[in-house]
Amino acid sequence: MSDPSEALASAKAAADRLVKAKRLNACLTAPKDLRKSLLAQAQGAHPSGVLYGMPVAVKDNICTLEFTTTCGSRILEGYRSPYEATAVAKLRAAGALIAGKSNCDEFAMGSSTEHSVYGRTLHPFGKARVPGGSSGGSAALVAAGAVPAALGSETGGSVRQPASFCGVVGIKPTYGRVSRYGLVAFGSSLDQIGVLGRSVHDAARVLSVISGRDPKDSTCEDRDPLRLPTVPESLQGFVIGIPKEYFPPDLDPAVRRACDRVIRLFREQGAAVREVSLPHTAYAVATYYIIAPAEASSNLARYDGARYGPRFDGAVDVRALYRATRGRGFGAEVRRRILVGTYVLSSGYYDAYYRKAQQMRALIAQDFRTAFDRGVDLLFTPTTPTAAFKAGEKLADPVAMYLSDIFTVTANLAGLPALSLPIGRIKGLPIGGQFIGQAFLEDELIEAAYAVERVVPATTEA
Amino acid sequence: MSVTHDEVLKIARLAELDVNAEALPLLAEQMSRILDYVAQINSVPASEGVKPFVPGPDAVRFRADEVKPWPLAFGPAKLAPAFRDGFFVVPKLGQFEEAES
Repeated sequence: MSDPSEALASAKAAADRLVKAKRLNACLTAPKDLRKSLLAQAQGAHPSGVLYGMPVAVKDNICTLEFTTTCGSRILEGYRSPYEATAVAKLRAAGALIAGKSNCDEFAMGSSTEHSVYGRTLHPFGKARVPGGSSGGSAALVAAGAVPAALGSETGGSVRQPASFCGVVGIKPTYGRVSRYGLVAFGSSLDQIGVLGRSVHDAARVLSVISGRDPKDSTCEDRDPLRLPTVPESLQGFVIGIPKEYFPPDLDPAVRRACDRVIRLFREQGAAVREVSLPHTAYAVATYYIIAPAEASSNLARYDGARYGPRFDGAVDVRALYRATRGRGFGAEVRRRILVGTYVLSSGYYDAYYRKAQQMRALIAQDFRTAFDRGVDLLFTPTTPTAAFKAGEKLADPVAMYLSDIFTVTANLAGLPALSLPIGRIKGLPIGGQFIGQAFLEDELIEAAYAVERVVPATTEA
Repeated sequence: MSVTHDEVLKIARLAELDVNAEALPLLAEQMSRILDYVAQINSVPASEGVKPFVPGPDAVRFRADEVKPWPLAFGPAKLAPAFRDGFFVVPKLGQFEEAES
């Protein structure tokens, strides 16, 4: 697309599709504002950009100038960022259209998009189900066909898990591949902006645009943007590791069948397949749920009623103002994580929890290095232990909710790139398979995903 | 492990977070469950020699230390609940007032 009239037509069509998808509660931007903005953006977009006219929705924890950035939280109600995220600026420079803000769990804390002050997002294939989270709004919009791609963010699987539940592609890049400037901080040593797309190619080309160095983020590596690989003829030459810890005896048999089908395809496509072991995987969720809340309790200290969003007045002094604003502004899950994070960092508990978790994280990262050092190029696992669960099913039990991230948190702890793509259905609900790759070798993940996407029966019952 | 109501309140004070009385029992129970779950990492044999792992660049790159305009679309006054003469306006710090009087 390089013709302004085509970009305008694309903007109008995207606005229509987003209105049609309104029932999902996945887009937080009012339809009238969205249509107006999309048309204005289409008129000003760069025709030479590689994403010219492509509508891309943006998760509500990524700063944009066009729309509010609330992180799905009451404490940032009505907040407009005075600057935009580097990833968003790069999208606009490539001619993409920012297609509104997508719903998410409050401050990206959740696995179901039920913890948003704006209400839960519905699964596009069944309203009683959750779309996953925390980037559930982005996944639902892509799955519903409202946009071809959307930005999400990952701290423990928040792109891949909803991608798996909704039957779309989700990529979490290597830590440092994409600038975090303008991504509202949750767990700074884990957070990365990721991409959801209707196909591997859509997700990969958006990732390619947003990747690369950024002087505004000191944790962003000084590297050129990702170069997209070509679609391979086969998987000849790839060595794919199957970590046995991701296939426990109690794994849902349908998930196992779908993965086995993909593993057979690897062999048919010429790849060598090897069983490997990542022995500290069992401790990954526990490690994650110490480190992430600890970092969150520090990052979210800035929301105090003085600098951002609404203030809950009537306090007699400044500390009472902080407590009232934070107590009423944060939702239950965020409050719980701030308290757990403060607890594990407090004197007397720091060594037993936080210090130990940092050591466990090193062991988990070492497991991956050992597997890759033994000649494995990529690892393949299920993305989630089950298909999308029912809304409300895990709300009362935070630990059960956390365990839905069991196969995704390890890549975040180790800072590695990972990609989820649809590999089948269970009773009509999509399930995903996950590739985990070596740091900064997203091109290998994408190449393998291209090959699998072409042959896997993604919409067939497992 | 079991977290008591008093411990939750103490942690909430440290976190500058109001917790209402009705929410306290459920919060204490859920925190206890979470802390019980995460404590399983202590069953892994001591790994004292292991250096903590943090992904990202090996060294922090610093920007040049130069003063230049910050390209904000609008100033802080627009995003603060209250702003006057270049300062964020907050209620007075009660404790200091009492100490001074």
